[in-house]
Amino acid sequence: MSKGFAANPRMTLLAAGVLGCFVAVAVRLVSLHVVDRDELLKFVEKARNQITVEQARRGAILDARGNVLAISRSEVTLAVDPWAAVEYLEADRNPARRERKRAEEQAKRAQLAAILGLPAAEVDRFFTPLRRNVPLEKDLHDDAQDGLIRDRWVKIREGLDESTYDRIAALNLRGIVRDRHYQRVYPGGQLASHLLGFVNRENSPVTGVEYHFDMYLRGQDGWIETERDGARRELAQFRSRDVPAQDGSDVVLTIDSVVQHIIEEELQGIAAKFRPNFATIIVSEPHTGRILGLANYPSFDLNHYGQAPLSAQRNYAVTDVIEPGSTFKIVAAGAALNEGLVTPFTMFDCGNPVIDYKGRSLKLPRDDEPFGVLNVAGIVSHSSNRGAAQLAMMLGEQRFYDYVCKYGFGAPTGFQLGGEVRGLLEPPLRWDGLTISRMPMGHAIAATPLQIHMAMAAVANGGTLLRPQVIREVRDPAGRVVRTFEPEQRGRVLHPQAAATLARLLAGVVREGTAKGFDLPGFEIAGKTGTTQKIVDGKYSSSRHIGSFVGFFPASRPELVLTVIVDDAQVAGGTAWGRVVAAPAFKHIAEQLIQYLDIKPVIQPAPGRLLAQTGGGE
Amino acid sequence: MRPPPPNALVSKLIALTLTFLVFAGTLGLGAVWVRQEIFQTANRSRGLEVKLADIERRLDEVNAEVATALNPDALLRQNKHMRLGLVMPQEVRVARVELSPERMLAARRNREIFNVAAIDASERPAVRFVQASLR
Repeated sequence: MSKGFAANPRMTLLAAGVLGCFVAVAVRLVSLHVVDRDELLKFVEKARNQITVEQARRGAILDARGNVLAISRSEVTLAVDPWAAVEYLEADRNPARRERKRAEEQAKRAQLAAILGLPAAEVDRFFTPLRRNVPLEKDLHDDAQDGLIRDRWVKIREGLDESTYDRIAALNLRGIVRDRHYQRVYPGGQLASHLLGFVNRENSPVTGVEYHFDMYLRGQDGWIETERDGARRELAQFRSRDVPAQDGSDVVLTIDSVVQHIIEEELQGIAAKFRPNFATIIVSEPHTGRILGLANYPSFDLNHYGQAPLSAQRNYAVTDVIEPGSTFKIVAAGAALNEGLVTPFTMFDCGNPVIDYKGRSLKLPRDDEPFGVLNVAGIVSHSSNRGAAQLAMMLGEQRFYDYVCKYGFGAPTGFQLGGEVRGLLEPPLRWDGLTISRMPMGHAIAATPLQIHMAMAAVANGGTLLRPQVIREVRDPAGRVVRTFEPEQRGRVLHPQAAATLARLLAGVVREGTAKGFDLPGFEIAGKTGTTQKIVDGKYSSSRHIGSFVGFFPASRPELVLTVIVDDAQVAGGTAWGRVVAAPAFKHIAEQLIQYLDIKPVIQPAPGRLLAQTGGGE
Repeated sequence: MRPPPPNALVSKLIALTLTFLVFAGTLGLGAVWVRQEIFQTANRSRGLEVKLADIERRLDEVNAEVATALNPDALLRQNKHMRLGLVMPQEVRVARVELSPERMLAARRNREIFNVAAIDASERPAVRFVQASLR
């Protein structure tokens, strides 16, 4: 019988050798996996493991018609590792070939300089290998621990667009590295700058929609946990976690870009003509409270926010208060009509400078011109201070104060973008003896332009005070609507009939009153001029004024409310009356908006018939 | 029967070891092949992801450029640059049409078809044209 090949001593030796190899491998494995495990694991984790953050794209901000007002665009920061280029050349031991490579690299650098529009010498400077000082304990990246390390990241240019970077990448230049990130871009420049706000260089939202709706806009960054090889390339098969980035939602505003542009252009005209301290224009829909345009002068370019002074970044429409002046007369007139104390034809003596009120003589404020006897319609259209004071006196302090509050003064409007002040309004207990005669003409009270605007909107829509809406809806990245913002009522100010009557009286302002000549035939402009003396050093100035015009049209079926306020306009040789600095702008804007928004003219009513029958209700 | 010599057991052991090595080697090679496939598939997948991200980036860039070009200021500049002479309409130049333009156009078209105007009044048939679409 065969003894088998094991009897062969050579085979036995071979078997022993194989076994020995197995034992050696086993010993090495034990050494690696048990003895040196901790140390090696640290090294592996440091060298191979990699967590890559995937930046989520910030959502866009759109206007009501879907035009982009703010969008995120990928930009590239271009840098160079000068030592990589040196190492690439040094790796070649063939001198002739090395020289050829050097010449090729030099030619590519010249092309890079041409693409970037830089002098070739400057680009060469970027590629000069340098060392930089570091603390000794951190000098662990090269052989010598001398406090000097190789500077491996020299920035060449930031904010490169993708197409330019493609041309640079095609050069295949050694040592070029890039860092991609999203940059916020505002295509309209300064369009709606005070509403949009901006995102700063640290990618933090600062003001406006960017800040207050950041929760929707910012999205959720993703991350990938993976390993990389010796050349620092990702080993995709070793991805252990892959959390995809969720892009931010789009926020749709109620703003219309064209309306916004029209009012901003008008503001530029006002600024060039009157050099005001500031000016504000607001356009909104009376029945929904949706703001179609809101602009301030001075303004700033969102793409260059760093160059804008802080004063230009203020949204004066909500952050600053002014005395409303005669535009505030809608409060006394509306309240008296609403309470049934007067009709448009009730007569008042506006020539008498003193009136008996609660058993004492009260001096009435002066009118701009002597009026004599006026009815309520005349008081509104001619803006009689004495008439307005008498209307408020008929109501009494408390009732008048209640109406002031109902109109929304002294309280925030609920503006969605914050930064809003509530204005100044004292309760009757803290009024002095003259307040009841001064407040009806818009003194002794301070309000934001937006408060004044919303009060007029309440008259236009039939007596309901609404919250101003700037945001229409939020859409997820797939375009589905995830949240809508519906009109919100804040309270009822006037009965529809009283509001309609007041609207008719306000139409008289442009027909025969302080803004005569600013009507648009067929479109029934209704509004109120205002001219307030500014308080300078604690006293009313006779040379510095705030001129305003607040109104709506068409009076019988209002479609737009428009406010123009100009602070401290410089009028050569005259006073900055509301009819001089604000009413022309109102008319010019109204003419353009009528065409753009296709507002139909109202059929001319028969003489004597009321223009406003339903207080703006359809 | 005699028991097998002790060397035969060793031979069997070696044979088994070699068989095991071949088997393990096959498994090992299989594992390497599978890993290579995984590697290639993962890389292809990553490549597609990178491509997709690249397309999205370019789309964003194009969207930003389109938005910049559609900005009212830019359009006005284009209007000036291209000498188009486009201006905002003015109310005095606008003719408001109160009737339905569709009805008016349909009526005119019908008149043209039937040439009503050309027919002498005395010869006109005593009929009324009714537009089918407007019934």
